[in-house]
Amino acid sequence: MEREAKKSSGNGGKHKWRKVAYGGMQPGYDDNYTDDSFLEGMVMNANVVKRDLFKVMLDSVSISQYLCIAALVVIVWIKTLHSVIDEISLLSLDAGLLGLGFLIILLTTSQLSFHLFLHYLMKISFFISGLYILAPVYHTLTRSISSDSIWALSVSLLLIHLFLHDFSGYTIRPPGAKNNPTLASNISLNASIIASVLIASRLPSRLHVFALMLFSLQVFLFAPLVTFCIKKYSFWLHLWFSFILMSMTLCIIFVMHRMLFVLLLALIVFISIVCPYWLIQIQEYKFEINGPWDEAKLCFEITE
Amino acid sequence: MDGPQRHRILMVSDFFYPNFGGVESHIYYLSQCLIKLGHKVVITTHAYGNRSGVRYMTGGLKVYYIPWRPFLMQNTLPTFYGTLPIIRTILIRERISVVHGHQAFSTLCHEALMHARTLGYKAVFTDHSLYRFADVGSIHMNKVLQFTLADIDQAICVSHTSKENTVLRSGIDPEKVFVIPNAVDTAMFTPAPKRLCYDEIVIVVISRLVYRKGADLLVEVIPEVCQLNPNVRFVIGGDGLKRVRLEEMREKYSLQDRVEMLGAVPHAQVRSVLVSGHIFLNSSLTEAFCIAILEAASCGLLTVSTRVGGVPEVLPDDMIVLAEPTPVDMIRAIKEAIEMLPNINPQAMHDRVKKLYSWHDVAKRTEVVYDRALLCSDVSLLQRLPRYLKCGPWAGKLFCLVMMINFLLWQLLQFWQPSKSIEEVPDILILENEDKEICGKLRMP
Repeated sequence: MEREAKKSSGNGGKHKWRKVAYGGMQPGYDDNYTDDSFLEGMVMNANVVKRDLFKVMLDSVSISQYLCIAALVVIVWIKTLHSVIDEISLLSLDAGLLGLGFLIILLTTSQLSFHLFLHYLMKISFFISGLYILAPVYHTLTRSISSDSIWALSVSLLLIHLFLHDFSGYTIRPPGAKNNPTLASNISLNASIIASVLIASRLPSRLHVFALMLFSLQVFLFAPLVTFCIKKYSFWLHLWFSFILMSMTLCIIFVMHRMLFVLLLALIVFISIVCPYWLIQIQEYKFEINGPWDEAKLCFEITE
Repeated sequence: MDGPQRHRILMVSDFFYPNFGGVESHIYYLSQCLIKLGHKVVITTHAYGNRSGVRYMTGGLKVYYIPWRPFLMQNTLPTFYGTLPIIRTILIRERISVVHGHQAFSTLCHEALMHARTLGYKAVFTDHSLYRFADVGSIHMNKVLQFTLADIDQAICVSHTSKENTVLRSGIDPEKVFVIPNAVDTAMFTPAPKRLCYDEIVIVVISRLVYRKGADLLVEVIPEVCQLNPNVRFVIGGDGLKRVRLEEMREKYSLQDRVEMLGAVPHAQVRSVLVSGHIFLNSSLTEAFCIAILEAASCGLLTVSTRVGGVPEVLPDDMIVLAEPTPVDMIRAIKEAIEMLPNINPQAMHDRVKKLYSWHDVAKRTEVVYDRALLCSDVSLLQRLPRYLKCGPWAGKLFCLVMMINFLLWQLLQFWQPSKSIEEVPDILILENEDKEICGKLRMP
């Protein structure tokens, strides 16, 4: 049953080579015999997605959009530190952004129950009151640290934040979400929060500190969620929103500082045009190998 | 007694006694059978705790426990050149002709093979496991393997699937790779003297309870099987991180009287656990060659296993029932195995395994590999360097640099500690005379 054919005695059919390990050396074949069926189970590039240049460029818009949001936050910081914006306008900006954010989420999410809305409202009010109570602490936090260290730290933290940011989703999950955010997105969120605290602690009065902290935290914590809701609702709305945001940012920076404008423009061009092209070019080197030697993937979730 | 050519083999690996495992027992049994064929075998591994220096095992097998501590998962700290002096000393003292390294995960093996090639000895490598391609750890390990196999004389894999995996990982020529499977010590794994009755079917599982060995599949399969077949009992031996999940499953479905957890089973008691059952269940997610299945078949158990890696090649179709690694298919396979049970004769199965696998056969086939390795021509450093350049645009040049420094260090050692000053060890042959007395005969170099 295991041995298919005969041996020796004339050439009445050579024993057929079988891909088995038992029975010792197969007669007529050396141990290093490589059959024609060698590597026939190998599948190459089975899961590789064929990318289209235009689609990649459209997807890269979310990255440029977030970059502009971060740039706007930095502009507000600089203007507040130079006392161009006073605390009342900051507070009204905060309230405006909060209202706008809630409106967008209400309009774009189909099933936002009243209970969930109340839950969000309660959380936000706890957050704001907590921040107001802690504002005096932040006000005197970095009094003994020199300004150079503050600028250097803030810039590095913002860079870390941008590098590790999760551009496809959002780190702050609504209650009941299934998958946890990754380590990298948590680190980026923490970096942005620390940067906001450091900058806010340089301000003259407690109300300033509270207003700026509220503004920065609102943007860093909730902007990814809001933009994700917009993108999910309608891709065209997302594109329009991104273009308006990018043009607004570029205009504001153009007025402020020519060099930074050129830098930001170059960066946006690099992200939107050069990087997609580069990605498509190096995709041809992709070599994914699958075969019978692969570790089996479990088809069910492991619930601890 | 002596074959056409008497080889002097140095087996190198990080994994050896007092550690227990597939690689360790492979090295031990292969060495014993090679000694019986008349060759000389010396093993080199790192020190285990206080066990450092030279030890002798059965049959005059000499083991060098070189005084290097393991740093991660029984591997010695990779220092590239730190092991050169001691490996050179061992090679000259024992007048080695072939260096045989085991297991791609062992740093000592890679270093020893590198030194062996620099010193001009023939090198053979055996790969015992399957590895992935895509994650960071695997990419680096495959690069190291590519370095070692760029200039190897022959390679051995334990199954055909393992050969495909090794060839893809390292880019070695398939004609250089021999497929020589493991075997099982059938004298130690014999079936129970009395056949068990079939009123209550006992399914045995002996494995490390970790993700890789499919412990999560067991958690899904066992409650279903217990529910579908009221006369089935499970015996689970082994320990690991997933043991907690199995205990939880036992609590949740109240299977305390139907699932027995034995904890870690010492190697000497594995046979007694196996012969208490009718069916052996193996749920691994990846296996190059599963020796556990062979041990179970040698004890007369019918095997149910997942169809992964090299498992389909291990046993003929009537001794094993294969299933896809999903709970549904495994339950189907267990049901099929229970129906096949009355037709299984444990003693007949044991006799068949005895014919299909033997360490003596493995040693004979390995001897052929050594003969082939010795036929490969000697090459100088300049002729060997182009082989490393093929490994990649940056890596190739880096590997060449490593080998050149190794060569220079060797020349320095030859000047500092000349080969003539290293005393050569006389061979001690353990002979049996007519009265079956063991006596030693000294053979001078």
